[in-house]
Parts: sequence; C-alpha cells; structure tokens
Amino acid sequence: MQEIMAKDMDYLVLALGIATVLFACGVLLTKDNLYAALYMSATLILVATMYTVYGIHSVFVLITFIFVGAIGIITIALAATYRFIPARKVNIYWIIPIAIVTAIMAYTYYLYAYQMSATIVRGCDLTTFPAIYLLMVVFLVSLMALLMLSAIKLVRGEGS
Amino acid sequence: MIWFLLIVSTVVLFIGYLTAISSKDLIRLLISLELMFGSVFLALIPLFMTMPLSAFGIAVITIFTSSSELLILIVAIMLTDKKYRTISIDTVSVGGDTID
Repeated sequence: MQEIMAKDMDYLVLALGIATVLFACGVLLTKDNLYAALYMSATLILVATMYTVYGIHSVFVLITFIFVGAIGIITIALAATYRFIPARKVNIYWIIPIAIVTAIMAYTYYLYAYQMSATIVRGCDLTTFPAIYLLMVVFLVSLMALLMLSAIKLVRGEGS
Repeated sequence: MIWFLLIVSTVVLFIGYLTAISSKDLIRLLISLELMFGSVFLALIPLFMTMPLSAFGIAVITIFTSSSELLILIVAIMLTDKKYRTISIDTVSVGGDTID
C-alpha cells in the first residue's frame, strides 16, 4: 500500500515538474510582459504545490500568499501597465558565468542527490515552529512594512 | 524523486538566467528574478527531508527577504520610469547615480 502511494507521489511530482518547466519556458518565449508575468505566477504556484505533495502545507501558504499573492500581483499590474514588446538582445559573454554555475550545481547534485529519499515531511507547521522563529517572523513582517512605508515616502518625495 | 526536483530547479534557474540576460526592459528582469527565486524554493525541498525545522526557518527567511528585495526593485522601476520616462534596461546598465 505504501509502495503504491509512493509511486503515485512520484507520478504527481513528475507531472508537476514537467508543468513547471513548461510554464517557465512560457516566460522565456512569450514577447508580451503581461503573459510573462502570468506564466511566472503559474510557475510559482506549481512550485508551491510541490511542497503540498510532500506534506509541507505551511510553505505552500507562505509562497502563495506572499510571493504570488503580493509580489506576483504587483508584477502583473506593472506588466499590464508597461505592455510593449521589446526586442531580444543577448550578450555572448554571459555564457561564462552560466557555465561555471552549471558545473558547480552538477557536481553538488552528483554528490548529494542520490543520498536522500523522498518522504512525506511531518511535524513541520507553524504550531511546531519554535517561539524564537516566530519572533523572527514578526521582525521580517515589520521589515516589509517599513520597506513599504519607505517606498511610499520615496515616491512621494520624488513627485514633489 | 529528489534528483528530478533538483533537475527541475536547475532548468527553471537557467530559464530565469536566459530571461534575465535577454531582457530589454526592467519588468522582464523583475519577472526573471522571481523565477530564479522560485527555483531556489524548489531546491529547498530536499532539505525538508533531513532537517525539517531548520529548512522551514530557512524557507521563511528566504520568502520574506526575497519579497522585500523584489519590493525594492518594483519601487526602483517606478522611480526609473518617473525620472527617465523609460524602463529600458539601457538606462540602468551603466549603474548608479552621477556625481556632480
């Protein structure tokens, strides 16, 4: 029974992974900024969905509410405002850092990827979260609120 | 399936890179950065298998700090548009303010 469940989980992760890559390709290939923002939001929701497959629901909520819900929607609004089709321009020298990062990631994954097995993660939600971390979350929320207030002040100052 | 997650994460990261280096406007750059952060979230899943609580702490910090960073970038885009009347990447490619 457990084996069948693990197999179903694998198929689900496979399907979600392929969908994630396809939506990410949509960001790269579309020429319209609005569609690129929409594809990006869909990609992030799929990434968050992968967390629910492994039973990490709290991170799903955080990614969906903060990353997609707040930042993603602002990006979509911005992309809808500046909706023009830019021409592509690629500098060939960017290949060098990309090659270096690829080599480092490939070596790291080769070393560690096969040592771990996928399981459903239990006991990882806000109720089991240590109190010291909750204080950190309060600080981070305060940081975001201060940043937003600073941004409003900055934009108003530029306008006057 | 951990290997598959890491491959998907790498592919999404490189799509983000490609989008960033081929972007001609700041909105596309912002979208590519968000995509790269998405790949980072995906790469965090294996850490939950070994150290769930630490991984959760790292995930919370990553989500909040990256959101703050993107928020600053959004404000920077708005200010760039206000100042230069364009959001073309050429306006920021030289970097920084000029000293009078």
